[in-house]
Amino acid sequence: MDTIRNFCIIAHIDHGKSTLADRLIQHCGAVEAREFRDQILDSMDIERERGITIKSNTITLPYTAKNGETYQLNLIDTPGHVDFSHEVRRSLMSCEGALLLTDASQGVEAQTVANLYLALEYDLEIIPVINKIDLPSADIDRVREEIDSDLGLDPFEAVLCSAKTGEGIEDVLEAIVERLPAPTGDSKAPTQALVFDAQYDAYRGVVMLCRIKEGRLEPGQRLLLMHTRKRYIIEELGLLQLERVKQKALEAGAVGYVIAGVKSVRDITIGDTLTLVDKPAPEPLPGYKEAKPVVFSSMYPIASDDYGDLVKALEKLSLNDAALTFEKDSSAALGFGFRCGFLGLLHLEVVQERLEREYDLSLLLSAPSVQYKVNLKTGEQIQIDNPMYFPDPSEIESTEEPYIKASIMIPERYVGAVMELCRERRGEQTVFNYLTQSRVELTSEMPLAEVLFDFYDRLKTITQGYGSFDYEILDYRVSRLVKVDILVNGEPVDALSQLCHEDRARTRALHYCERLAETIPRQQFKIAIQGAIGGKIIARSTITAFRKDVTSKCYGGDISRKRKLLEKQKEGKKRMKMVGAVEIPQSAFIEVLKSNSGK
Amino acid sequence: MSSEPGGVYLHIPFCSAICPYCDFAVVADRASRRAPFVAALDREIRGGATRWPELVAVGVDSVYLGGGTPSVLETGDLARLLEAVRSTFPLRDDTRWFLEANPEDVRPETLAAWRRLGFSTLSLGIQSFDDQELRFLGRRHTGAQAVRAVHDALAAGFATISVDLIYGLPGQPPESWWRSLETAARLGPHHLSCYGLEIHERTPFGKQRDRGELREPSDEHQANFFLETHRRLQALGYPGYEVSNFARSPEHRSRHNRKYWHHVPYAGFGPSAHSFAGNRRGWNLRSLARWQSAVEATGSGKEAEEELTLSDLALETLMLTFRTADGVDLAAFERRFGFDLEARNRRLVERHLEAGHLRKQGHTLRPTLEGWAIADGLAAGFDLRRD
Repeated sequence: MDTIRNFCIIAHIDHGKSTLADRLIQHCGAVEAREFRDQILDSMDIERERGITIKSNTITLPYTAKNGETYQLNLIDTPGHVDFSHEVRRSLMSCEGALLLTDASQGVEAQTVANLYLALEYDLEIIPVINKIDLPSADIDRVREEIDSDLGLDPFEAVLCSAKTGEGIEDVLEAIVERLPAPTGDSKAPTQALVFDAQYDAYRGVVMLCRIKEGRLEPGQRLLLMHTRKRYIIEELGLLQLERVKQKALEAGAVGYVIAGVKSVRDITIGDTLTLVDKPAPEPLPGYKEAKPVVFSSMYPIASDDYGDLVKALEKLSLNDAALTFEKDSSAALGFGFRCGFLGLLHLEVVQERLEREYDLSLLLSAPSVQYKVNLKTGEQIQIDNPMYFPDPSEIESTEEPYIKASIMIPERYVGAVMELCRERRGEQTVFNYLTQSRVELTSEMPLAEVLFDFYDRLKTITQGYGSFDYEILDYRVSRLVKVDILVNGEPVDALSQLCHEDRARTRALHYCERLAETIPRQQFKIAIQGAIGGKIIARSTITAFRKDVTSKCYGGDISRKRKLLEKQKEGKKRMKMVGAVEIPQSAFIEVLKSNSGK
Repeated sequence: MSSEPGGVYLHIPFCSAICPYCDFAVVADRASRRAPFVAALDREIRGGATRWPELVAVGVDSVYLGGGTPSVLETGDLARLLEAVRSTFPLRDDTRWFLEANPEDVRPETLAAWRRLGFSTLSLGIQSFDDQELRFLGRRHTGAQAVRAVHDALAAGFATISVDLIYGLPGQPPESWWRSLETAARLGPHHLSCYGLEIHERTPFGKQRDRGELREPSDEHQANFFLETHRRLQALGYPGYEVSNFARSPEHRSRHNRKYWHHVPYAGFGPSAHSFAGNRRGWNLRSLARWQSAVEATGSGKEAEEELTLSDLALETLMLTFRTADGVDLAAFERRFGFDLEARNRRLVERHLEAGHLRKQGHTLRPTLEGWAIADGLAAGFDLRRD
């Protein structure tokens, strides 16, 4: 156990986390040069392209240190976005230490700070690492100062390196060995192992990634998942070295994989504690939180023929994404689809992108919604995330919406602007504390729904990228909730209905009406587009009718050509959705629904 | 479908200069090009009886020389072409002979010659009476020449004088257009054709537009011109009988164009000319050189033909008749196509009636002026599935 080090790398986007991981892997010889590719731990295209890590990944690196001892370094990669903060937390729970990476030219940034606080919450030992020292614009002294003033860490403990050139990589490895504590735990105690991630393998079923905190695991033992109370038998376990390497046992302190005949990632919960049926631990490890979807949206295939493919794609995707939920849904305007639940907007985007890219589907998504509680006059309480099922207002006693506690970390100069943003988003109890002279932590209790729509982007913009944001769900609070319908010539377009706070209704409705008026082409009749709450019209726009749609000349030579043009026009109409005798091109839905995130 | 006599069209592609808005098959006139062209056209016409036997069966009562500028041809050439038509197709006694002419070709001696050849209708490419607009349009005459041409043509004793005008030029003030209209009406031709300027790809105007040098008038702007043109001409004694055509009285309506609009057989000769008979539509090669080689080699400048299905014909029927004052005769439509158009499109027809695009009179659906303005979309909106 003394030769094990469990650590993760935390960094702001683009500060070189994946490159550093690549370099550490190469230095330890865990992978042959010819098998090597950049961002080796980021296996999804989206991760490579966006430079973000979505799924955690783990690798065990054998490292022979200068003292002659060979260590087992477990690098636990962590996702870097607030949507996946529960995954980050679980990864951090599996480590004793963290490399806090800072770009030598960019310096300390918002996410660096947010991540540091997260790491400190789990009592991790931190090694500041200044990366990209080979850059001409590198300013190591300034970054050292920031590490001191903004992070409160000892700047002279910082290790300098360039993951790109390989300079200082050995220093990083030595620091890991020397400065990070070895794991503690007792191999003889009742077993407690944290499941911090799971992957689906088409041949072996679910592969659980675990950190053994206490006790040991061996093949053939009967496993108990302490939260779900499910039982399995260990088939195989071992270490992850890009490939799975079988072991006879995993002991306290180790990080490895366990295969136990679990069919789907849905059968287990990430964050659960593994113990043994025959010698169970008295209690599970602390910090367990179920990852529950908080954002809901309906997904429709653009070509209705693709519905079958969407079913298959969602089933496959969900084998490896336990947080994604879906159930059948249908819309008069858009046909059959699925109501899906996501961890947040990024999760939604990632799922959409993977479906479109890996499964070659074109999708349309309805306005994202949170889950509301509706108290009916009958005394019954129902939960609603789909506007379609919102009861008639006359049956409603009251409505409640989920609130979060937002923690925002910003340099002091942005306090005014960020407080204004919080106020705009119905933030309550907004308070701020100075962490240092120049750094402020601001907390605000605000409706989750307000955070869904571009809050993070707005925060980044007004703080020039220095604001970091994290949240936790607080509770449900009574709120004046309404369902806004969009009517085209008096007929509601179900896919455009949405639930929102009364104060937001008019702006949202107007936004939709205007976008629709811009995107629905003019037709032969005047088109009225209205936003309504129940029978009350709160917004409207009008598309005036065509006044001229005739060519001047139509003589012998033009007739066939012109007929063909009209035939094309007729073909085009077939692909449009008819609502209230109005032809709405698919592109109008796409434009309007796309603009959600901009609202 | 009709036993109405058919028409013959001759396309004369020559112009003394090419107008920048024109997208017809035209070439610059060269004296050396005329003789071989006329010889080829003569030959193609004479082969027309075997190519279009339907036309021989129903006879012909309308012969139209268009272009291009047929008025650039010498009297002798014109005479030769008319003779070819006469000796190929059975002509009715009351056949109308149409000639398109440019004002600069209109002189007392040419007028007299055209009368002697038997032309009964002269269609004058006036386009505008405003010198500045004429220059913009690349025309070779002035406003004063235009007035004189109309005046002289009227005095020469043709049964019908028709004047072509163009409106909706970029930046054209409405007043300028109303002045041209009033000038035309005061001169008193029997027939007017008024076309909104359309800018076509590959024409000089089209290229200028693509380079951003020419701003295409908006639909809204053209709609205003269109509607107001009809209203004003109605008031001036020229009711519109088609989207772009106006006649002082029904006998001056274009007999030739009627054939295009009502699926009456017609045969076209010369480059790019179209023909229609027995549900076949054929068209000739567009390039003069290629057409000419084809005629010299085979006797015909045909490029291709298409057989129109019943649904093609149904769509064309709506597309063409919604452009005319006649509108769609629902009973005749049902007899021809085997389904009730109105019953199949009940809600749509109701909405067009409510919106004032159509009027129903007896079993006829007639477009209103507003209906004419959207005639293309009007036709495209109908469900024409027969099952």
